[in-house]
Amino acid sequence: MEYLAHLTLNCGIFIILAVSLNLINGMAGQFSLGHAGFWAIGAYTGAAFSVFSPLPIPDWMNLFIGCGIGGISASIAGILIGIPCLRLRGDYLAIATLGFSEIIRLLIVNMDVVGGPRGFTNIPKWANLGWVYLWVVITILFISNLMKGTHGRAIISIREDEIAAESIGINTFKYKLMAFVIGSGFAGVAGALFAYSQQFIHPNGFNFLWSVIILLMIILGGLGSITGAVIGAVILTLLPEVLRLMGETISQWRMVIYSLLLIMLMLWRPQGLFGKKELNLSALLGRKKS
Amino acid sequence: MSAPILHANNITMKFGGLVAVDQLNLKVFKNDLVGIIGPNGAGKTTVFNMITGIYTPSDGEIILEKRNINTERPYAISQLGISRTFQNIRLFKDLSVIDNIRLAGHQGLTYSAMSSIIRSKSFKTAEKKLTEEAIDLLKIFKLENKKDFLAKNLPYGEQRRLEIARALATGPQLLLLDEPAAGMNPNETNELSELIGWLRDYFKIAILLIEHDMGLVMNVCERIYVLDYGKLIAHGTPGEIQNNPKVIEAYLGTEVD
Repeated sequence: MEYLAHLTLNCGIFIILAVSLNLINGMAGQFSLGHAGFWAIGAYTGAAFSVFSPLPIPDWMNLFIGCGIGGISASIAGILIGIPCLRLRGDYLAIATLGFSEIIRLLIVNMDVVGGPRGFTNIPKWANLGWVYLWVVITILFISNLMKGTHGRAIISIREDEIAAESIGINTFKYKLMAFVIGSGFAGVAGALFAYSQQFIHPNGFNFLWSVIILLMIILGGLGSITGAVIGAVILTLLPEVLRLMGETISQWRMVIYSLLLIMLMLWRPQGLFGKKELNLSALLGRKKS
Repeated sequence: MSAPILHANNITMKFGGLVAVDQLNLKVFKNDLVGIIGPNGAGKTTVFNMITGIYTPSDGEIILEKRNINTERPYAISQLGISRTFQNIRLFKDLSVIDNIRLAGHQGLTYSAMSSIIRSKSFKTAEKKLTEEAIDLLKIFKLENKKDFLAKNLPYGEQRRLEIARALATGPQLLLLDEPAAGMNPNETNELSELIGWLRDYFKIAILLIEHDMGLVMNVCERIYVLDYGKLIAHGTPGEIQNNPKVIEAYLGTEVD
């Protein structure tokens, strides 16, 4: 039972990470590979707050303050990284953000006050399933509502055609940065929640492989679809575990099967499960939207 | 004559050793309808790219209502009232027709990102007004029954019209059209030339257009600039241009003695 709860909780954290990365990669079309870096910043600042200076208030209030601290520090890092890096395009941006996330990880390894290479221990258990999923809902509502307004449309227009967006008066740099900062902020929140639920964090838990896995989640679900990001996060979090349960042979080959499934998906459905579409309940029920 | 709204004063554009546009002087007045013609590679689109801020002129100055806009970024120039279409259509292909128009109304909206997240009242009223204005504009271009189509699914002629509609939705005082009739059949071209004149009168804007279709240019424009190898070789009314020996030479070459 505890194992199941643990998995569900991980799903929630990865949903936040995937939905926030989707804002940067899928909506604004800016190829960022540094999401694990922002996740780490959120985790370590949130954990540092809980270990060194928790306030004498109920845990759940501390949790919200901690998530706020994690999110805001990751956003500030997003501004600092975004201003120089977002002038780059495509692969170059990917390399720059990848480099940044590795710098963050190495800084943490060399910071003894947060445990350095030994990892950060004794973090209080403030988060449980309920709090994590409350944040999942906040993240999804925040980003999907943002996308319905003019700011969200401006962010999508950058992905569609940057020159045309500029030609109709959209300050593309400002909106790229907006997407980047909001996306990295929610990654920071996910980091704080991760710290408060695991009670132990280690710099190697935030290496660049995780940036790639989060990227895989949104590609699997369909770049640009929030629903897709959620489904992608759930599938890629559960798949290795499900394969582990399916007998010894499959369990031993599970990473191979996992990779093969990804290759097959990309061959048959390169736009991802959802493409750019959203799952729409009223459309599912056959009702026509007014 | 009153002061021009746009004045390109001796603008030059050099790409390395290549001089794409050489000391061009160009004026556009209020409610003007001006054409730029010239053989391929004459530098016409480069002129547009300089005016709209995609390139910064190597020399000279572009003045929009007494203000030098040489180094302004493209979005700022659009906000100052110059809007354009592109030679190879640049729509937001995966967005709906109406979203293409709504995006262009972006500058007119004042609500913050936060008010769209909490779906505040100012967000709802502003969005409603924006949608109504977009539909009104689509009606002018006979696209309102296709408002929910993805832009990429429109036929070519309608994509051209949508791009003009989108440029107008920014509320410009000067509209730049880069080969609006490219790829259109004679019928569509005729409709377009009527539309261009009508738009100028209805929206009270100035229009500067690049076109290869001589019929359309001669029909619609009141003044024409002729470029060849980046240099201005003639400027005048359609009648004057048609009989200008330099223009005939640029298009047809000289006689062999």
